[in-house]
Amino acid sequence: MLGSTLLALLVLLGLGAAGLDASFRDLARRALRETLDAQLLALMTAAETDGSGRVAAVSTLADPRLQTPASGLYAEIRTADGIAIWRSPSMVGAGAPSQLDAAVARPGDPAEYRESSATGTPRLATLARSIRWQIDAGAAQDLVFAVSTSLDPYETQLRRFRTQLFSGLSVMSAAVLLLISLLLRRALAPLDRLEREIAAVRGGSAAALGDGYPRELAGVTTSLNALLASEQSRLQRYRDTLGDLAHSLKTPLAVMRGALAAPASATRSELEQQLTRMTDIVDRGLRRAVPSGAVGLGGAAVAVQPVAAELRLAMLRAHGQRDFSIEIAVPDTAAFAGERADLLEALGNLMDNACKWCRGTVRVAAVPDIAAPSGTRSSSAVGRWLAVRVEDDGPGWPPDWLHGQPVRGRRADERVPGHGIGLAMVADMARLYGGELRLERGATGGAIATLVLPSA
Amino acid sequence: MRILVLEDEPLLLSQLRDRLTASGFNVDTAADGEEGLYCALEYPIDLAVIDLGLPKLSGLEVVRGVRAGGKTMPLLVLTARDRWQDKVEALQAGADDYVTKPFAFEEVLARIQALLRRSGGWASPQLQCGPVVLDTREQRVTVHGRPVELTTFEYRLLEHMMLRAGEVLSKSELTDRLYENDAERDSNTIEVFVGRLRKKLDPDETLEPIETLRGRGYRFALARESA
Repeated sequence: MLGSTLLALLVLLGLGAAGLDASFRDLARRALRETLDAQLLALMTAAETDGSGRVAAVSTLADPRLQTPASGLYAEIRTADGIAIWRSPSMVGAGAPSQLDAAVARPGDPAEYRESSATGTPRLATLARSIRWQIDAGAAQDLVFAVSTSLDPYETQLRRFRTQLFSGLSVMSAAVLLLISLLLRRALAPLDRLEREIAAVRGGSAAALGDGYPRELAGVTTSLNALLASEQSRLQRYRDTLGDLAHSLKTPLAVMRGALAAPASATRSELEQQLTRMTDIVDRGLRRAVPSGAVGLGGAAVAVQPVAAELRLAMLRAHGQRDFSIEIAVPDTAAFAGERADLLEALGNLMDNACKWCRGTVRVAAVPDIAAPSGTRSSSAVGRWLAVRVEDDGPGWPPDWLHGQPVRGRRADERVPGHGIGLAMVADMARLYGGELRLERGATGGAIATLVLPSA
Repeated sequence: MRILVLEDEPLLLSQLRDRLTASGFNVDTAADGEEGLYCALEYPIDLAVIDLGLPKLSGLEVVRGVRAGGKTMPLLVLTARDRWQDKVEALQAGADDYVTKPFAFEEVLARIQALLRRSGGWASPQLQCGPVVLDTREQRVTVHGRPVELTTFEYRLLEHMMLRAGEVLSKSELTDRLYENDAERDSNTIEVFVGRLRKKLDPDETLEPIETLRGRGYRFALARESA
C-alpha cells in the first residue's frame, strides 16, 4: 500500500512539474515574441525613404544592440523578391547571420514567427512582417521587415528555471513522501496488530482480541470477539455433549451385553428397554448440540409468525391422535435476532410439550418489545427483547418448577417425565442468546412457557 | 393399494417391504432418490414412504419432485433427524406426515392407513362446499372467508364429511375416521363433535351444513364444488 501511494505521488509530482515547465516555456516565448514585435514596429517607424519615395535605409536605431556587430539582435528590410534593401550594422562579425531567415509573407498577413539556426551561428528567433509601402498616389512597394534575436538568453533562462523547479520539487517530494510514510505506518499499525492477534488466536496462544483499538476498528474487533466466543461456546458444548453421550451409552451397552449372555426369555424385553434408553440419550444429546447462540452473526431478522404457523402444522400431524386446536396470535412485527433453526427447535419443543399435555387448546402469542431479562449482561450488544409465549389448558407445570426464576439448563441425563429433555434444551438456547425461559401457571391452571429472546 | 418404499438401508427396506406386503399392500421399492422419483412419477402409486437420507437425490428433493410432477398421492417421510426444522421442511416441501427413526412398524402402518383413508377423493388441496372452504395442506377452514378454529378431531370429521358431501355417513363409519388407532372408540362422541361443528360453522343457524338422518347417520348438505 505504501509503495503504490509513493508511486502515485511521484507520478502526480512529475505531471505537475511537466505542466509548470510547459507554462513557463510558453510564457517566455510569448514575452520574446512581444519584444520582437516592438522591435519590428520601431524598425518600420524609423525607415527612411530616398528621393523617389522608396525605403532606402534606417539611420536612427532605438536599440543600440542593432548597431553593435554580432550583438545577438539583428534587423533587415528586403523586397518581396528577397533582395535586401538594408541590414542592421549588427549583422557583421563572427557569429552574425549573413541574412535573416524570414518567411515570405503577403502584405496584410499576420507577422510570421520562426526559430532556426544556420551553421556557425546561434539559434535565432525571427519575426517578419510584410507591408505595402505607399510611394505615391499611384505606386507602392511590397517590403518585408524582419527582426531576429538570439535564443541563447531565452534558453539559459529556461535551463535556470528547470534547475530550480527540479531542485524545489525534489526537496518537496522527499518531504511529502517521508511525511506520508510516517502517517501510513502509524495508521496501519493497528491493522498489523490485528493481524498478529488473529494469528495468535488461530495458533491457540490467545482466546480473544485485545482492547485499545482505534474507533474505526473497534466495531470490527468487538464483532470478531463475539464470533470467537460463540464458536468457542459451541465447540465446548459439542465436546460436553459427546462426553455425556459416550458416558451415558456405555451403561445400556453393558446391560445389553449382559442380556445377550442371559437366558433367551429375558433377553428381548431387556434389549428393548436398553434400546429405548439409548435412543432417548442420543436424542437428548443431539438436541443439546443444536443451538448456535449466534446473535446477529450473518443472519437476517427471523419473523416469528411464519415459524409458528409452520410448527402448527407439524404439531397437528405429530399429535393427530389427540383432539385439540392451536391458536397463533403473533404480530407480523415480532422478529427474532438469531438463527431460524434455533427458534424452530426452541418453539417446536415448547409447542410439542403444550400439545402433549393440553386438554383442548394451545395458544402461541408474542410480544415484540419487552424489558431486558434480569440476568442480561451489561456488556450485551442486544438492546430490544421479544417474548414468545406458549400456553396450554392442561394440568400445568410440576410445582417445583415454578420458582419465579428462569429455568437453568439441566444435565443431559436428567429427566422429568414428559418435560425435561426439550425444556432443558430450550433453556440452554435462550441463555446462549442472553435471554431466558420462564415457566408460569396460567389463569385456569395450565402451563405457560415464555421464551425471552433478542428482538430484531 | 400400491405403495412405493424409498429406503437406502437394505435391511430396513426389506423389513418394510415384507411387513407391508403381509398387511395386504402391493409394494414397490427403490434404494436411491433418482430411481424412487422415477417410480413415483411413472407408476400408479397410491402412497409413497420416503426416507429423507437417500443417495443420489435426497428424500426432500424427491418429495419436491413428486409435487412438481403434479402427483397428489400421500407422502410419508421417514427421518432419523428428530429436529423440528427437518419435520417442518418435509411438510413444507409437500409431505403429508412423518415418522422419526427408530420407529415401531405399527406406527408406520397406522400412519399409512390414516393417510390412505384421508386421501380418497383429493383432486386438489382445497375442498369447497358452498361458503365452507377446507385447505387440506394447511388444515385450515374458512366460512365466507372467516377463519374457523377447529380441533384436530373436528377437522378430521369435517374433512371426511366434505369429501363425501351429499352421502349418508353412519356413526360407526365416522367413528372409524375420527380415531386413527383402535384406542378409546366411543360412538357417542360423534354427536358431541357434530354439535360442535354446527356451532362453529353456522353460529347464526342460517347455513345448516350438517343434516341428521335419524337411525341412519349424518349428511353434509352443502354441495361440493369441483376443483
